Amino acid sequence: MFYKLPSFEYFKARSVGEALELAGKIGDYRFLAGGTDLLVDLKIGRYKPRAILDIGGLRELSYIINDGSRVRIGALTRLEDILRSSVVRERLPLLHEAVYHMASWQIRSVATIGGNIGNASPAADTAPPLLVHDAIVKTRSVRGERAVRLEEFIQGPRRTLLEPGEMIVEFEVPASPGLEEYWAYRKFGRRSAFTLSVVGLAVGAEFLEGSPVFKVSLNSVAPKPVRARSVEEYLKGKTLTDSVIETASKIVQQDISPITDVRATAEYRRHLATVLLKDALKEIAGRLRR
Amino acid sequence: MALEDPFSILEKYLSAEEYVVVGREFTRVDALDKALGRALFTEDYFIRYLQGNALFIKQVLSPHPHALIKAIHVDEAMGVAGVKAVVTHRDIPGVNQVGYALPDQPLLAERKVRYVGEVVALVAAESWEKAVEASQLVKVDYEPLPYVLDPLEAMSRTDILVHDEAGSNIAFKTRVRKGDVEKGFAEADVVVENEYRTHHQDHVYLETEAALAIPDSEGRITIIGAAQHPHLARDIAARVLGVPAGRVKVVVPYLGGGFGGKDDEGPLTISKAALVAYLTGRPAFIVYSREESIRIHPKREATIIRYKSGARRDGKLTAIDVTIIHDTGAYANRAPFILWRATMHASGPYEVPNARVDGYAVYTNKVYQGSFRGFGNPSIQFAVERQMDQLAEKLGLDPVEFRLMNILRPGSRTLTNQELDHSVGVGEALKKVAERSNWISKRREFDAFNKAEKRFKKGIGVGVAWHGISTSRGVPDWSNAVLKVEKDGSVVVFTGIVEMGQGSPTSSHVQIVSEILGVPPEMVRVVFGTSDAPDTGATHASRGTGIGGIGVEVAAGKIRERLARLAGDLLGVEPDKLVFREGRVYPRDNPERYIRWVDLVREAYARGVELSATGYFFLPKGKFDDTTGQGFAYPAFSYIVVVSEVEVDTETGVVRVTRVWPALASGRIISPLQVEGQVEGAVAQGLGYTLFEKLVFDERGGIVNADLTDYVIPTALDMPVVEKPIYVEDVYKYGALGAKGVGEMALIPLPASIANAVSHALGVNVTRLPLTPEYILQLEGVLRR
Ligand SMILES: Cc1cc2nc3c(=O)[nH]c(=O)nc-3n(C[C@H](O)[C@H](O)[C@H](O)COP(=O)(O)OP(=O)(O)OC[C@H]3O[C@@H](n4cnc5c(N)ncnc54)[C@H](O)[C@@H]3O)c2cc1C
Repeated sequence: MFYKLPSFEYFKARSVGEALELAGKIGDYRFLAGGTDLLVDLKIGRYKPRAILDIGGLRELSYIINDGSRVRIGALTRLEDILRSSVVRERLPLLHEAVYHMASWQIRSVATIGGNIGNASPAADTAPPLLVHDAIVKTRSVRGERAVRLEEFIQGPRRTLLEPGEMIVEFEVPASPGLEEYWAYRKFGRRSAFTLSVVGLAVGAEFLEGSPVFKVSLNSVAPKPVRARSVEEYLKGKTLTDSVIETASKIVQQDISPITDVRATAEYRRHLATVLLKDALKEIAGRLRR
Repeated sequence: MALEDPFSILEKYLSAEEYVVVGREFTRVDALDKALGRALFTEDYFIRYLQGNALFIKQVLSPHPHALIKAIHVDEAMGVAGVKAVVTHRDIPGVNQVGYALPDQPLLAERKVRYVGEVVALVAAESWEKAVEASQLVKVDYEPLPYVLDPLEAMSRTDILVHDEAGSNIAFKTRVRKGDVEKGFAEADVVVENEYRTHHQDHVYLETEAALAIPDSEGRITIIGAAQHPHLARDIAARVLGVPAGRVKVVVPYLGGGFGGKDDEGPLTISKAALVAYLTGRPAFIVYSREESIRIHPKREATIIRYKSGARRDGKLTAIDVTIIHDTGAYANRAPFILWRATMHASGPYEVPNARVDGYAVYTNKVYQGSFRGFGNPSIQFAVERQMDQLAEKLGLDPVEFRLMNILRPGSRTLTNQELDHSVGVGEALKKVAERSNWISKRREFDAFNKAEKRFKKGIGVGVAWHGISTSRGVPDWSNAVLKVEKDGSVVVFTGIVEMGQGSPTSSHVQIVSEILGVPPEMVRVVFGTSDAPDTGATHASRGTGIGGIGVEVAAGKIRERLARLAGDLLGVEPDKLVFREGRVYPRDNPERYIRWVDLVREAYARGVELSATGYFFLPKGKFDDTTGQGFAYPAFSYIVVVSEVEVDTETGVVRVTRVWPALASGRIISPLQVEGQVEGAVAQGLGYTLFEKLVFDERGGIVNADLTDYVIPTALDMPVVEKPIYVEDVYKYGALGAKGVGEMALIPLPASIANAVSHALGVNVTRLPLTPEYILQLEGVLRR
């Protein structure tokens, strides 16, 4: 609608330190990373901040580091860089796969992982893989650093635990040999590409004393991306036989609370969650049998 | 007959032994400019030449589905710095009436609004930011009225009237009465009866509506704008301004897609820009945002179609009884014509001895009905072709075999009892495409596959369609063009046909001139889309080449007659024995005794041979009786058959169209590459319509998904393999070189063919579009209806 951007003061931070200092001072601000969510939100009037703090150019928060048992990803790393990273492809294949199915090359070339999580949409596609990996969100403010589990960090639609003056600086993503090999990802959108999730699903298996521990996460089926704890609980110590898969994929209904909107009915989302989980578990079962 | 008689010219080139440019690969004139992003579209003229100088126009839309306008307050908006005008119905110097078929539609709402999104006022300011700001300050006092959204409800109510004057919400009715329907059903051994529903579709042209109006000296206005018929846009703008048509000039540059949408909205867009320019004396520019485009401009209508048909055991159709209801929305626009077309095509391309068809275009308080590729035909062919499959099944016949038993052929009589004397290649197209797609073995193969496989099911379905060419009944239709040969031998053609991606003026028109005059294509330039050319009619109804090209052919043919006489004198040969080819004119039996084209032209200038000509041609029509719906409906029909293969995931409900086999019987194929482009484009647009696209309305008739986040169009990855089209060149005597029309064709039977394929795959009865995963699961009984 030729939405007009509301007027705001614009600051471009030259360093993380400067950004945090400004944030502490201004109070009523929004960070601008890639802007692919924020600009839309400003135009439709979801936010009317006094100031925009542009952190998009801070190269110091754009990195992917293979750090032994974990991979550290800077909050301002662009999705396209994540997609091209061999570290991510090898150690966090679920994340690689999820980003592959996100948006388009143009959007991925400016959108950041910090923006995807910071935006806290129920449909955020990097969330399911990061949740399966039990990712930690590192935040920083002039008061210091915090580390929060992603599962707690996202509170609900566009709500996070981020405090005033605080910025997401990094995702610490535990990696494991299990998740490098035994994983399955499904994104169900309304067309084959360039589409928002109607239901997204990440499943992976880790190994504890030789037996698999399954981790399951979904988006677009609840006010925020969720771990399917009931499914995980049920699968504990079980072998993925057809009947176990069948039951597990029904149990997922307890972990979700979808709504009806213009993209799909709640009923269909529920149906899909079961179908996609069954599919994904079958795929993993196949890999486990090899 | 006189040498320059258009009929003899058409006949001469229809039966030519050989074509050297026509029917061959041809690089369209605009290919490189478009590939390199150099081609200029309406908005480019604003950005390059007039930004900062032209006023920007922002529209104020109605938030109500139905309300009286009590007052419009513009003072506050006028108070914004940089605002030059706030235009309402009160400011219109001419007539505030832009209805096409019926005089029911204002350019700017007057007295009441009839849909959410109706344009109430225009705000013009020095910058778009100011225009947007001020548009929010225009205060309209509304008195909300009760409204109707459902066409069935609207039909049966008179206490809520979208148009009080009409006295009913039925805007228009159509009918066909042929033979004795009761007797027909009594003779039938099998009868199939269903209610079908189809939905609204938006055009989603890449380029949204735009126009740039520039006031000229002497009280004239030139508008560069996106429309499909410059003369119509000019006439409507002139009427709104209250000035003679000759004072308004419309130039349509390259269009980023039209699909019919710009045939309806183009003249309105252009009138809005013209109005502001006229009132302010300043250049004025309007462009719709995507959201505005979706909210404001007319749509492919939603329909309800009740269809009963019967056939005998020997495979012959005996009767049809059809009711067609179009959700016309707030204004009639072209609804009567769209409904008329749907009605007269309600039999499909089959012989049906007894028929009763009733059509209703029904006003509702929603965005209104308009032209869209296929023009009322895709929905009715969907119903027809679902019926045909079900009749075949009941009769134990193969769907293709059953169709062939009833298909139109030369000598057949149509639904309106019109005899088709020639150019009826549909049966051959159907046979050929069935063969090429291995129809019979695939049907069996997929049946076997579906028995063995649980989750994924495969289906193959056919859709056959016909599409009347030119205007209906006796409604006048003509072609024209002005052709000039310049002193250096180059050729300039003026036509009102526009270039909207289809390529008529940049390929087929050039090919026709090049073929007839024997000049290389580089020497031919077609100036298109201008109201300075003679009125050529609209670039719609698949007529840009088939009809638009007639004017070009006739004008070129006249010039050739003159030059042949001259060359004959110079070479001492009978003019009829001359060949015009590759810049030379020579006797057929002696190519070495040639005169160069450029020299011949010089001679013509020296000897007083006129080298400009018009190519006027008025299409012969017949009589039609509107009370019975019987008589001459269209001069000819173009035909298409599409076979689609699908794979359905029965668990997610997702339909994937894997392969499409098109076969056209649309007369001469002048530009094969362009035809393929039209077929592929129509498959993409038809696929979107069939699988994903659907406007969603809220409880007040507002569009919920007026953006491309939630109005889902297909991507390249959703496209099936589209096989090279099969051509049955069933040339038509009054088409350019025998061409009928292609632009709309593949979209028309595609929904039917996909629906038939899905019905085949799942063994269900598809009666609705779009085939969303949820609908598929409902058909399977997995989800509640
Ligand atoms: C056409 C299109 C397609 C899309 N497709 C998808 C898709 O398929 N899947 C999907 O999940 N998303 C999709 N998106 C949404 C969007 O692109 C992603 O969410 C993207 O990752 C957002 O990143 P950004 O850098 O652009 O965030 P921004 O828009 O800059 O920021 C988003 C929010 O996060 C906050 N923020 C950003 N960085 C930080 C930080 N470091 N610390 C604290 N707060 C921060 C901002 O203040 C803002 O509120 C799409 C968007 C568009 C426009």
